Formats: sequence, structure tokens, C-alpha cells
Amino acid sequence: MKLLFVSKLDRFARAVSAITKYVQTGKALGHEVALFGEQSSEITSVPYSLDVDKFDFAIFVIYGPWDFPDLPYLARLLDGMPKERRIIIDCTGRYNDTIRIEHDFNHLEKVDGHQGWEWIEGFQAVSDKILQPTLKPLRPDVHPFLFHGYDSSALVRSYNSPEEAAGAWSGDGAASKPYGMVYVGHNWQRWSQMSHFLEAVEPLKDRLGPICLRGWDWDKRPDWAIEHGLQGVDVDLALLQRLSVETGWGIPFDQVVELVSKGRFSPVLHRPLFNHLGLVTTRTFETFCSDTIPILMLPEHLVDAIYSTDARPLAPREDIAGKLNDMMHQPEVYWDAVLKTRAYLAQHHSYHQRFKELLAILNR
Amino acid sequence: MIDRRTNRGSIQAVASYVRAGDPLGHTIALYGRPDPNYPGVRCSTDLGAFDYVVFLCEFGLQWMSGLRMPRVLLDVPRDRRAILDADGMYNAVIAVDRYDRNHANERERLRWMAQCDCLAAKLLQPTFEPPQPGVISMPFYGYDPSLQMDGKSSPPKRFDIMHIGHNWWRWREMSTCLLPAIERIRAHLDGICFVGLWWDMVPAGAREQNLEIAFGFDSDWFRRLAVEVRQAVPYTEVISAMSEGRVNIMTQRPLFRRLKLLTSKYFETFCADTIPLVMLDPDHAELVYGPAGRQLALNESIAEKLLDALTRPEKYRKIVQEVRRHLVEHHSYYKRVQQLVAALEGRS
Repeated sequence: MKLLFVSKLDRFARAVSAITKYVQTGKALGHEVALFGEQSSEITSVPYSLDVDKFDFAIFVIYGPWDFPDLPYLARLLDGMPKERRIIIDCTGRYNDTIRIEHDFNHLEKVDGHQGWEWIEGFQAVSDKILQPTLKPLRPDVHPFLFHGYDSSALVRSYNSPEEAAGAWSGDGAASKPYGMVYVGHNWQRWSQMSHFLEAVEPLKDRLGPICLRGWDWDKRPDWAIEHGLQGVDVDLALLQRLSVETGWGIPFDQVVELVSKGRFSPVLHRPLFNHLGLVTTRTFETFCSDTIPILMLPEHLVDAIYSTDARPLAPREDIAGKLNDMMHQPEVYWDAVLKTRAYLAQHHSYHQRFKELLAILNR
Repeated sequence: MIDRRTNRGSIQAVASYVRAGDPLGHTIALYGRPDPNYPGVRCSTDLGAFDYVVFLCEFGLQWMSGLRMPRVLLDVPRDRRAILDADGMYNAVIAVDRYDRNHANERERLRWMAQCDCLAAKLLQPTFEPPQPGVISMPFYGYDPSLQMDGKSSPPKRFDIMHIGHNWWRWREMSTCLLPAIERIRAHLDGICFVGLWWDMVPAGAREQNLEIAFGFDSDWFRRLAVEVRQAVPYTEVISAMSEGRVNIMTQRPLFRRLKLLTSKYFETFCADTIPLVMLDPDHAELVYGPAGRQLALNESIAEKLLDALTRPEKYRKIVQEVRRHLVEHHSYYKRVQQLVAALEGRS
């Protein structure tokens, strides 16, 4: 099978990691995978192609309007690939009625210039087959397809037992883990959860160690958000200062696993909209590749459905400080959960598995 | 199809086209769903119900996104699509006095042209003489006498001088011509008001796009001159807002002056209950407004002309009436609709 992905890749955001994995996995399984467009000199791990006729399917991976190509490339793509061989993976729940959860939303004209109906009609013009990375899409005409996956070959460090993992995690100390907590992701609709997390761990500040946030707009509320009156990218500089939080710009996708491994803990947060829709992201799976204990700040039903019940100890529910305290006291209990979850992810959510699921949907 | 905004671009013209089309038997609509922010503007998303799609393009093409365009590409053949290039982008790279420009470089120009060539078979520019071969002259903007505000319906005059327009490539002319002239006669003037975006701030993202120069301003100078800055008003309130000024000054960015591009402001200023003074070359003012228009050109002796208009309003009112008669005869939207239809059908 020859698959042509269509998306705007950015080394610091969105689908770049997943599409890179599809290229690798496709190759290993005897398929050809490329991205539509002219070859990028920045992302050399993904082959690009404009030769639409050569491919069996075009797979649009859409986060925002920018993921569709501009003219004249768009016309070339639509002319060269018939509608029945185009599919859309709607990564942010755009193909729904307009939904607002807290400050989060799936449509907002002042952000990207499109009203809700345009998302529906625009998607329907491109394809009859729309997938969303959730187990339970709201619309009956959407296929569930998680898209993102777990790559066990990217594991920074593997362990034979929870005791070994806990020993390494506790014993290495500050020399190998300079941070108590690392989070990599952009501050877009995540502040309410991040501030809740930070406030909760404040009493543990000295025992936890330094905190590092890497991604866009953790250091100040951006001008565009102020200009448009948008919430959801707030920051509380006093809170960040009290906790001596180190903030920095995003890092390239191929350095995320390594950086997250420098923290003893790493929270897994989804936007309020994503929690509502059950949407998963790259980080849902990738955090388990790092040498860290993931803190699953996710709805319980999603934890069970994606990671299995083995991961429940990693979800702090309401008592974040108590959970982290306990993790520091008896890490082997939690590393047991991490290792079991990794095994579950390798079995059920590998990119091999995803690729097969995708082919099954394409051939349906 | 336009980048829909209530307070900028060509939305006033679209509303006038919708009104003028009906009695002529042409159904004209704005692409999109009905929206109370655009009163009186017929909206439709039924692309198959129309003979032509006209894209009103300005500086940026981002609004013609890959999400929005597939429906158009799939439902409307290219020979039934046309572009009105309002900002003179479909030209060679033009940089006026190393300041205003249509494209930052040749690469950007080629990208812009490629998008347009792919999108539409016809390219129109709102100028009488498009420099680029193959581009159709289509004045596009016009005069809608139904919008004219008379002394009775006009709001009270609060300002001697008003300027309504956004601060986009206008600062050089402001800072070298208009403001120095105003400064000289400030003691003789009552209130001054600038209405529009970016007279007191640079928009987010301008620096990153290397466009900060297009948004120059000097709040201290405005303060010294007691210039009041008001935020942009929606198109439905523009004429009423203009009517608060005894004199309204129309400026154009240098690129537009070079290309002699017409805009909504050329005509809507004459709908207001005010004395319009236009910062245009007198020959061009005469070409658009007729012989009387020459006397409204604010080209030389700006300070003296402003004082003259304020102290002899009757003289100028007669000139404005003369210009309005010319506009009704030559630049009505009825005429424009017919010109547009002819252009789309290849009869122009």
C-alpha cells in the first residue's frame, strides 16, 4: 500500500512524531508512506512527494486549517486523488457541532477565521471517511481510530522488574535526573490543569526538586491571546516564581522523550475539550517511553480504556500531593504500574497495531 | 467571497452590490451563512445556485484556506471564478520609496500569482489602467446615493477634522505631510479625530512578519496635537461616524496611489454629511470625481486648504454636490454591477 499523508509538519508540534512513526512502521511492514509537498530540509525523516498519482490513499491529518495545503497544491491533490481514496483524521474534534468546555472549544472564528459549519462542510467536501483519535466519537459518521501510538523501540531505559526500575529512579538522584517534574507541551488550553497540578505540589517543592515546563507561552500570556481576549493560555507568574519553575520554548519532537526522562515525574494532561471527547495525543503514549513516572491527570474511564486498569495507580484523582508523596516513598509500587502499562501499550497500541487498523479502515 | 470583517475591507461594497443587483435582475450574495453582523447582506453557501464566484482579495490569502476552498474548487469550474485584486498584488514587485510594497520579495510574489492563476480564469483590478497584461480593469467600488446622509439625519459635528481608515502603510504620509500641516494651524482648529485600527498599537504578529514598519505611529505627537483616537467602527456606522466631522480627509497608502487603485473610501466619504478632502493627485481626483473633484484634492498647501474648507463651508458644499452628481452618473453601483457582469462574461 502507498499512503500519502497530508498535513503541515512542525518539528515542535502536532502530528510530526506520529507521522514519522508511520513512515518507519510502514517501511517495516512493506508499505510506502510519504507526506504531500516539497521535501522539507528540516524534517528529513519523512519523505515528501507531489506525485499524487503514485499513491493509493491520501490521509489528511488535520489539527487546524493550515494543515490543508494552499493553492495550487490543493487543486493538484484534489484533482489527482478521487474522493473515495481521501480520508481525514480529525485530531482536534473539529468535525462536531460547536463545543465549548471551560475556555476550550473546537471552533472559534476569531482564532482561525472559520465558523463551525465550515468545518463540517469542508470535511465533507474532501472525504466521506472521517476518523477521530477517540474510542467514542460523538457523530455516527465518524470512525474511531486512535492514530497516535506507542513505540517501545523509543524506550529510553527498560527494566526487568519494578524493583530495578525503582532503584534506578531513586538511586540516580539529582545527577541523572535534574528535575523533579518535566512537562513538554504547549500552553494552549492547559493552564487550568497545570496550575491545579502546580498548586497541589507546592507543599512538596523541596522534596520534589526543580520543575521544568517546555513549550510555547509558559512564560507569559501571549499578545495574540490578549488582543483576541482568549482565555486558556493564562499564566500565573507568581505561582511559577514561588515554585522556581523553569520555562522554555518548545523542543523538537525527536528530543522530547529524552528531556522528559530528566524528570522524576511527568504529568499527562489533555485539553478540557480532549477530555470531553476522549481524544488522545502523541503525549498520551510517548510519555511512557521516557524514563519517568507518568502522572495521569486524565478522566478515570479514559485511563482504563487506553492504558488498562493496571495504570490506575498512576492517576492521582483529587490527591495529587498525597500520590506524589507515596510515589517517592514506595516507587516500586508505581514502577510496577508503569512497566505493566508499557507492556499493555506495546501489545495494544503499537504503531504496528495502528498501521494495521488504518489499513483495515482504508480497505473497508 | 471575502475575508469577512465588519470593520474593514470591501464589505460596504458587497452590501451595495447586493442592493444594486436585485433591481437589475442579478442575484448577488456573500459566501457564508446569514449573520446579524452584516445586516442587509444576502448570504449563501449554495455555490451551485450562482453563475460566478468572485473572490475579493486583499493583502493576505490565508482566508482562502484549504478547508474553505475544496467546496469551491469541486463545485465551481475555474472559468466561472474571478478574483478582484483589491491591493494590486497581481503585479511585479513594487516598492514605493523603499517603504510601501505589494510583496516583500519575488518569491512571495510568485507564490501569490500561482495561487491566483490556479484559482481563477479572470483577474480584475480596481484601477482604470492595470499595469499587468491580461488583468481586467474593473473600478468595482462605487457610489451608493441611498447611503447619503443629509444635514437632518446627521449626528452633531464634534470634530473639525476626521480621518477614518486603518493605519496600514499610512504613517509616512501622515508624519511628513498631514500632521505637520495640522500642527501649523492647530490653534485654529477644534477637535480632531482618527478612527480606525492601529493608530495606537502595533497588532500582534506584525513584528514576526517584518511588517512593523506598516504600522508606524506616534502617540506623543497625537497627544500634543490633541488628536482623539477611536477604535474602528463597523461598515454600517462608517458614514454616520464620518458625518461627525466638518472635514474628512481621505488618505491612501503610497502603493495604492502609485497604482491608482480605487477603494470603498473614495466613494463612501461622499455619502457622509461632511466636506471630503482627498489626498490624491489632482488629475486623478478629476478622473474619478469629475472637474469639481480637482478642488477637493489635498495635494499642496494642505494647511491653507483645511482652513479654507472650514471657514468657507458653503463653497465646498457646492463642490461636493457637484461631485455627487458626477458620482451618481458615472460611479453608481448599478453601473458597477453591469460592468462586473460584462467583465465576468468577457464583454468588457
